[in-house]
Amino acid sequence: MKFRFIYLFIGLYFSCVKGLAQEKLYFSQTELGFLYGRGMENWEGKREERMDFTFQTFHGARFTPKQVIGFSVGLDQYQDISLLPIALGYRGFIGKEGKPQIFGGLDLGGGSAVLEKKQEDEWSKSWYEGGIMFSPMAGFKLPSRKGKTALSFTFAYKRQEFSYFQGYFERGNVRPFTTSLLPPGYNSVTETAFLYHSFVFRMGLMF
Amino acid sequence: MKTKSTLLPFLLVLFFLGLFSSCQDEITTTYTYRTMMPVYLEMSDVRARLITTEPAQPLDNPGKIYIYGDYLFVNEPTKGIHILDNTKPSNPINLRFIPIEGNVDLAVNNNILYADNYVDLLAFDLSNMGDIRLIKRVENVFTHLYRHDTGQIITFKDSVVVTDGNGWRGEGWLMRSDMSFAANFSAAAKSYGTGGSMARFTLMNDHLYAVDESTMRVFDVTKAEDPKFVKPVDLGWGIETIFPFQNKLFIGSNRGMHIYDASTPSSPTRMSVFEHVMACDPVVVNEDHAFVTLRTGNTCWNGINELQVVDIKNPYQPKLKKAYPMLNPHGLGLAGDFLYVAEGQHGLKSFNVSDVMAIDKNQLEFLTSMKSVDLIPGPKSLIVIGPDGVCQYDYSKPNQLKKLSCIQVTNPVIIN
Repeated sequence: MKFRFIYLFIGLYFSCVKGLAQEKLYFSQTELGFLYGRGMENWEGKREERMDFTFQTFHGARFTPKQVIGFSVGLDQYQDISLLPIALGYRGFIGKEGKPQIFGGLDLGGGSAVLEKKQEDEWSKSWYEGGIMFSPMAGFKLPSRKGKTALSFTFAYKRQEFSYFQGYFERGNVRPFTTSLLPPGYNSVTETAFLYHSFVFRMGLMF
Repeated sequence: MKTKSTLLPFLLVLFFLGLFSSCQDEITTTYTYRTMMPVYLEMSDVRARLITTEPAQPLDNPGKIYIYGDYLFVNEPTKGIHILDNTKPSNPINLRFIPIEGNVDLAVNNNILYADNYVDLLAFDLSNMGDIRLIKRVENVFTHLYRHDTGQIITFKDSVVVTDGNGWRGEGWLMRSDMSFAANFSAAAKSYGTGGSMARFTLMNDHLYAVDESTMRVFDVTKAEDPKFVKPVDLGWGIETIFPFQNKLFIGSNRGMHIYDASTPSSPTRMSVFEHVMACDPVVVNEDHAFVTLRTGNTCWNGINELQVVDIKNPYQPKLKKAYPMLNPHGLGLAGDFLYVAEGQHGLKSFNVSDVMAIDKNQLEFLTSMKSVDLIPGPKSLIVIGPDGVCQYDYSKPNQLKKLSCIQVTNPVIIN
């Protein structure tokens, strides 16, 4: 079962390379843009807005002339926190070849917090953990006159979960009972779970 | 026509986009912490329960270890006592378990096992290991557990609590959970092995001395099967360990070392207090010197990790002779001229201490793989308590420890 996926992947890879050369099986979309979101109400009833940088590159293969599956990686900034989204994606196009087209798509995957440094001292440790990312999108494809490349404009919604953990170690020689609720060696852990809803605008190039 | 039907889903997507982008970020905080939940018990109920020995149980979270002849008595804090046959230290055999609620300490004298049961002291007859019987209960001696005079006691149970809430509130709870730990579980949690240097029950001259946070209680055990409570002796705060030596009691507190004259065993009197900065410190003693460790990283942290040698030739005027820097010393044990120091996660060190002014130059071994919190130099083996469980080493060659066995522990010590 596992191997079947590997074969599929290898097949897909070679078909991409082949596609590049001949039938345009390979598809890529690389875009830059911004994420916009609104924070929770604070005690004054005001809310903070956030507007941050986003980058994404999607690579896939056409399985019908107007539909693509592939994967995307990128970089999303949420205020001070940088996440690396990695997702499986779909893109579908409507419209005539060579003319401006509308497309829609979906990315489903996770945002990784590997870029965030863990902090540790004698008493405590804090770290980030990434979480599920879900992003439906729609946009326009404006092909260049000569054909192969196209400008793309994407509007998307992005739902990103991640968590910040701050744990305090057991102090002294306490031998506590084990529990699945806390990692070993910790006396307490505070988890701050973030669920960010963002509006995304990106623009870039499609091949 | 076909294009229209596929356009519709995209419009729907756009519509949902609009919906979602109007909603706000959600941030939720959960705080998970260990704490001690209070449990209220009626002593009359506790006393009504029969205590009968049970088949051997695996060691879960062992506390004090006591060597008595060929046997090891291992306390399971607040639960009871394991009995192990240690005839062969290379292969100790778990024999049976005595369930004793609220038990944190024990001592054995003339085939009588003394153990605390919340506020009471129990005596068990060990003359027939196959049939251990409770022969005496001295009631209402560890009275610090009483909540009020009605016979209700308050004890604490380990719990993990998950709450929704803000960070700052969490911090507050954290402090409180720590305090309850320090105040109530210290006896159980800190007495790592004993008979070793972190003992709280100790026997000398037919008397049993039991120390808690602030009081020493004296029992006359001249008739081993009939312990009699003599009196409490007020010690001051932060008492942690007790070490008997040549009619004196050396009591380690987090502020210093108290020396008590116990030549009149029923009424120990204070000779002196050797004060130092706040630290938690086990004590071992020989004729001329007391060895004290100070360390950081527990409830009384202060930034000092030291082995101190105190001159006690004149017990009324103990003097600091020399201090040696250490990494993170926990328990220690003295066997003749050889001193073993448990260095926490750093390992275990052995020294020849015949020249107390040059201990650092006479380090024999530094076994970095032997993470340890306490040790007991026993007649057959050196017992080391650490993350690997309860391990025994052949130390007949003091400069070359040889591992004999390790008793698996389901919930071993974690050293930070």
